[in-house]
Amino acid sequence: MHSNNYTLFFVFIVTVVLGTMLSFTKDSVKDLQDQNLKADVQKTILRSLNFDESLLLTNESIEETFKSSIDAKCVNVEGEIVDCNIEEVDIEKNEDTLPIYIRMDNDEVQGIALPIAGKGLWSTIFGYIALNPDTDSVLGIQFYKHGETPGLGGEVEKKWFTDNFVNHPLKQPNGEIQYMPKKIRDKSGKIVSIKVVKGGVDYSESNTSSIHQVDGISGATVTADGVTDFLLEDLLRYEKTLDKIRDYGTI
Amino acid sequence: MELFNSESKKIVSDPINVNNPISLQVLGICSALAVTIRLDQAIIMTLAVVFVLCSSNVILSLIRNYIPARVRIVIMLSVIASLVSVVDELLKAYLYDMSKQLSVFVGLIITNCIIMGRAEAFALKHGPSKAFLDGLGNSMGYGLIIIVVSFFRELFGAGTITLPDGGAGYVLWSIPESWYAAGYENIGLLVLSPGAFIILGLVIWIQREFAGVEEDA
Repeated sequence: MHSNNYTLFFVFIVTVVLGTMLSFTKDSVKDLQDQNLKADVQKTILRSLNFDESLLLTNESIEETFKSSIDAKCVNVEGEIVDCNIEEVDIEKNEDTLPIYIRMDNDEVQGIALPIAGKGLWSTIFGYIALNPDTDSVLGIQFYKHGETPGLGGEVEKKWFTDNFVNHPLKQPNGEIQYMPKKIRDKSGKIVSIKVVKGGVDYSESNTSSIHQVDGISGATVTADGVTDFLLEDLLRYEKTLDKIRDYGTI
Repeated sequence: MELFNSESKKIVSDPINVNNPISLQVLGICSALAVTIRLDQAIIMTLAVVFVLCSSNVILSLIRNYIPARVRIVIMLSVIASLVSVVDELLKAYLYDMSKQLSVFVGLIITNCIIMGRAEAFALKHGPSKAFLDGLGNSMGYGLIIIVVSFFRELFGAGTITLPDGGAGYVLWSIPESWYAAGYENIGLLVLSPGAFIILGLVIWIQREFAGVEEDA
């Protein structure tokens, strides 16, 4: 049997050695990790704006595409452009400077991506929603960071869930079903956002707001409610900016 | 040479075959179910487990005579947890997409019973070279099973075979469109957890049959 002093000494040494090893590892790969994180955020923005996947294969091509086709700036709640360091803005708490990413093509707005973030069940979920230039119909939605349960709340990042936002089945008079994006504005132009509904969306004709609803995730009602809440909250912050883009085609 | 005598060979080959940690001891099932949706995930997971188990076995074997018995579990856990954290950080730096897909399951290698089990049952009682071989055998035994399971789950569940590359995975082969047009359908159940249980059950059955293992009634 070893003495107490020896045991304490041994544990101390092991802790120091392992601690050093860990901090050395972290330190030597930190730059690479930061680059990956940055590229991941840019990739999310580009994906939400419906860029072709072939442009998003490597960190370099992502950065290149981002630089050449995205106009990134900040606005305030009044819809005025303000100065900011866009990479440093705290998306979760910030209320004064709101980042906005505009896909430009020949000086015309092709799509607008807005950061969205809020509480799910266990964690804060981060993502981007992109709107068409009409600032009403959804171009795409993507989530890139969350700590929700894999297989349950974690499904928010999966294609089947995000595809919900751009595949609203609309029955044509001839009986064929045509898919169109979901809408964030009601008929009067007011932002009502999109609700994640428990179970599935009721597509019968009596449900007049099905265009503002997407299918929920089984076993992840709290995560889904979180998405519904922060989506509305975040979109409302951009209301004046979005109105401006809709009415004048620019900010 | 000690490394290649018949006893050493047995240390490596036993856990791959007749004493496989998954199919015979039924350890490490949690991660075996979670990371077997796609082949590339299973391959990277196997490499991670090979690294962690071999290193932890060697390190613990080297210091086995100095570890105070009262705190040995804590020491084992710290060594294993540190090694897993190193793997996690490296994946985030060099295989970012993969680390996102594996998510919490890399961290959960810490709680994989195989690793603690081998440390306690083998590494603390044998020299470093034998401990290394034992780690190699057990991690490959684990890897073999999850690779086989993931191969069938991905092939019949998603209709593809994906190998790991720097990014989102290299699709080696996928079921041609013409098959789908002819009425072929993927078995969605296999992508879900029950599918993993079914495939794993079949693999355990076949593996035990081959290894000639019989349970005592």
